[in-house]
Amino acid sequence: MKKLITLTINKRSYELAVAPNKTLAQVLREELNLPGTKIGCGIGDCGACTVILDGRTVNSCLVLAVQANGSEITTIEGVAEGQNLHPVQQAFVDHGAIQCGFCTPGMVLSAKNLLDRNPRPTESQIREALSGNLCRCTGYQKIVEAVRAASGAAKK
Amino acid sequence: MHLLPGFEYYEPKEISEACKLLSELKASAKIIAGGTDILVNMKKGLLIPRYLVGISRVPGLNGIEPENGGISIGSHLIVAKLVEFEIIRKKYSLLSKAAAVLGSPLIRNRATIGGNIITARPAADLPSPLLAMGARVKLKNKRGEREVSLDAFFKGPGQTVIKPDEIMTKIVIDEAPPFTGGDYLKLMHRRSLEIAIVAVATRITLDGPNGLVKDARIILSAVAPRAIHAASAEKALIGERPTVKLFEKAAAIASTECTPIDDIRGGAEYRCAMVEILTKRTLTTACKEAKGK
Repeated sequence: MKKLITLTINKRSYELAVAPNKTLAQVLREELNLPGTKIGCGIGDCGACTVILDGRTVNSCLVLAVQANGSEITTIEGVAEGQNLHPVQQAFVDHGAIQCGFCTPGMVLSAKNLLDRNPRPTESQIREALSGNLCRCTGYQKIVEAVRAASGAAKK
Repeated sequence: MHLLPGFEYYEPKEISEACKLLSELKASAKIIAGGTDILVNMKKGLLIPRYLVGISRVPGLNGIEPENGGISIGSHLIVAKLVEFEIIRKKYSLLSKAAAVLGSPLIRNRATIGGNIITARPAADLPSPLLAMGARVKLKNKRGEREVSLDAFFKGPGQTVIKPDEIMTKIVIDEAPPFTGGDYLKLMHRRSLEIAIVAVATRITLDGPNGLVKDARIILSAVAPRAIHAASAEKALIGERPTVKLFEKAAAIASTECTPIDDIRGGAEYRCAMVEILTKRTLTTACKEAKGK
């Protein structure tokens, strides 16, 4: 039986009926037309489906949509402000921290969440914060450099 | 793409309601806490429960509170908070150290302490430090509550004494005696998203800053069907002066007390050898902490 839930996604409120066996990742992509959240492994290993749920990064493939009822969610679609990229996004572009792009939404959200909590992280803190997000193109070095650069930009 | 099989979902708002549901639905229901384990097993088709009971909205399961000088931890507390709470980092550092290397940041933001215990995986990160600290768990059902020592909780891989109608509500850890220190070390092929090849948690209590060993606990993980005490090694330490030589002796004994398997992460012989190394290292750190250094 479907359940009625309310989600606040990227500061916009949605009310919808979802089947209990739908994950948050599926609902974002299939029902709310927010396909920026990717589904990679589907079992919590790759981090492609990262979203920020009530202030914490989570694998949205391992969260039931019904469990997220009442929560505030930030997806990659909610990171830029209008036409202006978030400093983390801009740094990814500037540093070539994007290859195939599949891990990028998750990487950006994990990096943004880190900088929101700790505006001046050390390199090891950056690597630690991104350690649940896999990049199969193995572009980690440029990603770490981009986040480090964004931490400088974010403090302005 | 992995899809979840169908199920009915309940979300009780009170512990009494949760207990009632479980007593009615019995074994056809499973509790979902953080979901990082059960949803994976369901997606892989290893588990197909008819009902899932989500307990995240049950009050009292998400926090920590003092209990008789020690601490009571709600079973639904997420692993990330075991690292964030200053009191746990300072007074129960063993637990924080293990929590910090569990899964990945994304997993630690969902996975719960109760879930990591109940799934009873032989290589799970939190049971060994909790065993080293002599933790107990509170199990509740419709008729009442019982407290079980964690030593008596695990039966084997995935097997515990919890009954289908029971909910783990709290994990209780007593205050450590004075001159007590602990350490946890996990050997991994990589630093994140990894299951231990071997992990060792030790806790040591001295009878004074330069005293003899009064109490010792050495817990070995991933080298037996459940986390085990290296009982002979523990015995060898008690009443002795804590020296490098003594720790080497205890570590050598510990390596003979495990029964690891050969698997993709490591061979049995290698695991035994690593038990010796990790035991010695954790004892050394634990002893320094116990002396207050």
